[in-house]
Amino acid sequence: MKSFFNFLYLKKSNLIAVLFLVLIFFLSFLVPFLSPYSDDIHGAVFFENKNHLPSISHWFGTDSAGRDVFTLTVYGAMSSFKVAFGVVFLSVLIGVPVGLIAGASSGSKTDEALMRITDGFLAFPPIVLPIIITTVLGPSLNNVIIGIAISWFPWYARISRSQAIIIKSSDYVMVSKSLGASKFHIIKNHIFPNIVNSLFIQGSIDAGYAILTAAGLSFIGLGVQPPDVEWGLLINTARSQFLNNWWVMFFPGLFLVLSVVSFNIIGDGLREYYNRKWDRI
Amino acid sequence: MIRYILKKAFLMVSVFFVVVSVTFFIAHILPGDPISLWVGEHPTKEQIKTAQKELGFDQPKTIQFYRFIKNLLKGDMGVSLRTRQPVIEELRVRFLATQELVTISMFFALSIGFPLAVITILKEGKAIDTLIRVLGYVGMSFPVFWLGMLLQVVFFGLLGWLPLQGRLSGDFSSAISSGSVFINSVLSGDWNLLLDAIMHATLPVLTMTICITGIVIRTSRSALVNTMNEPYFLTYKSFGFTDFEIIKKSSYKNTLVPVSTILGLLYGMMLGGTFFIESIFDWPGLGHFGVLSITTGDFPSIIGVTILYSTSYILINFIVDVLYFIIDPRTKI
Repeated sequence: MKSFFNFLYLKKSNLIAVLFLVLIFFLSFLVPFLSPYSDDIHGAVFFENKNHLPSISHWFGTDSAGRDVFTLTVYGAMSSFKVAFGVVFLSVLIGVPVGLIAGASSGSKTDEALMRITDGFLAFPPIVLPIIITTVLGPSLNNVIIGIAISWFPWYARISRSQAIIIKSSDYVMVSKSLGASKFHIIKNHIFPNIVNSLFIQGSIDAGYAILTAAGLSFIGLGVQPPDVEWGLLINTARSQFLNNWWVMFFPGLFLVLSVVSFNIIGDGLREYYNRKWDRI
Repeated sequence: MIRYILKKAFLMVSVFFVVVSVTFFIAHILPGDPISLWVGEHPTKEQIKTAQKELGFDQPKTIQFYRFIKNLLKGDMGVSLRTRQPVIEELRVRFLATQELVTISMFFALSIGFPLAVITILKEGKAIDTLIRVLGYVGMSFPVFWLGMLLQVVFFGLLGWLPLQGRLSGDFSSAISSGSVFINSVLSGDWNLLLDAIMHATLPVLTMTICITGIVIRTSRSALVNTMNEPYFLTYKSFGFTDFEIIKKSSYKNTLVPVSTILGLLYGMMLGGTFFIESIFDWPGLGHFGVLSITTGDFPSIIGVTILYSTSYILINFIVDVLYFIIDPRTKI
């Protein structure tokens, strides 16, 4: 906990990024209770209020069905957070064991086979693999998470493998090995604790890009489906009238950009923080 | 040299095989239902049966896989369900439109990004350095579709300077029939056509360029920082040369090597971006076709686009590997 506060104090941008994400995370839960337009979330329509410019009563204006864009945008953060955590969690869950096993047995046939298969997933241009996976599985929030995670786990496998190879040949692991430690013991007690920092850095940056990718999938109709609310979907539904009613698509996109930038700042901040800590030792 | 290229070529073919296998695996073994995509909603029992036969689903998986590969090598990707044309033909007519978009954007991203990176290094710590880095950062975080729509609102809706979408205006649409519009118009000396094509290409290219220039800046910057810590750089500096002179005379070549490694990655990201940019700007390329195929459940076309995109991505990475060797002959074989 103390180290977390040290991280926040390191740079002002770290603090702002964390605050922003925490704020919209809690707001997305509270908005159904606080907003006077909470019915809008469940697809209520008020055609008499349609296409209002941003004003005091509707901070971000209203869309073509008279729904409050502020309420929808803030509520949409929840889907994005689900995607961010789901994708990183699943990628780590698949990638790290694969990488650790490959790294711990580097040079063997197991290593070769595991990494060649992993490389196969990287041979697709980014986003093409998620597209085909969500097409086959059918569009939904969970399938988006699966689709993105399947195409991103190779990065985690690579990080874990390269770290495992370095740590495996260090002296203390050699000693541990000579004392009769099993491969599993070495992975669990020596290698894994050493890759946690790298995983945090990569995970934080990926969380942002997972949100971005998921929004893209929703935008082309492969992601979250109505009545669920998500930023890419909101932008897509605003498409028919966006030249006149720019605010309907502007604000969800703005939140999207700010979240991605925040996750990026946190990732870079973590990298700097860990490097400094390392320098001090 | 030849040994290096052969080795990389062998690797390329094997990666291609893996990609095709993964695509097959996803399309045929995941718990999805390609048959319902094939026959549409509420099929009769006979329809399902004929579809199974047409798709070869009544055969064992190994035979299906063998057929899939065999047809693919013959250039047969089946028939598009939406247009009833062979998928390969649909892909062929759209290929150049996409390549035009991607190549021009790549050119701009590199020729803008690298000088900007040099500026951030020379003016390190000054306001312009921060500004460029922040812009690059934000550019990388933009959803392409959102940025494209914003540019449309500004340059078409508010200012009226540029056309909303399409590759050419209606009067010229007969010129689209084949090939690259730019090359054709220059060859035939039709300057009105060229101007029209440039006007239409400006917004899509601008959108794409903004989204990838950030990566170019970032990579070039860290590569430059590395070269500036090299002993030879410090030696030059001790002789009294300025940073700019050293970079101009010698360092930029050393920096090009790490920057060239991201060309493949950039290309892949841009291919992904075409799905959004082309459908927003109604650009008649592969990405637009891909999205239309997705929304109409045109399964063979989706597989076709996936395989074509992956193949060109693999091919570009192969070319980059070879280029890498030519730029820096010290590369380990």
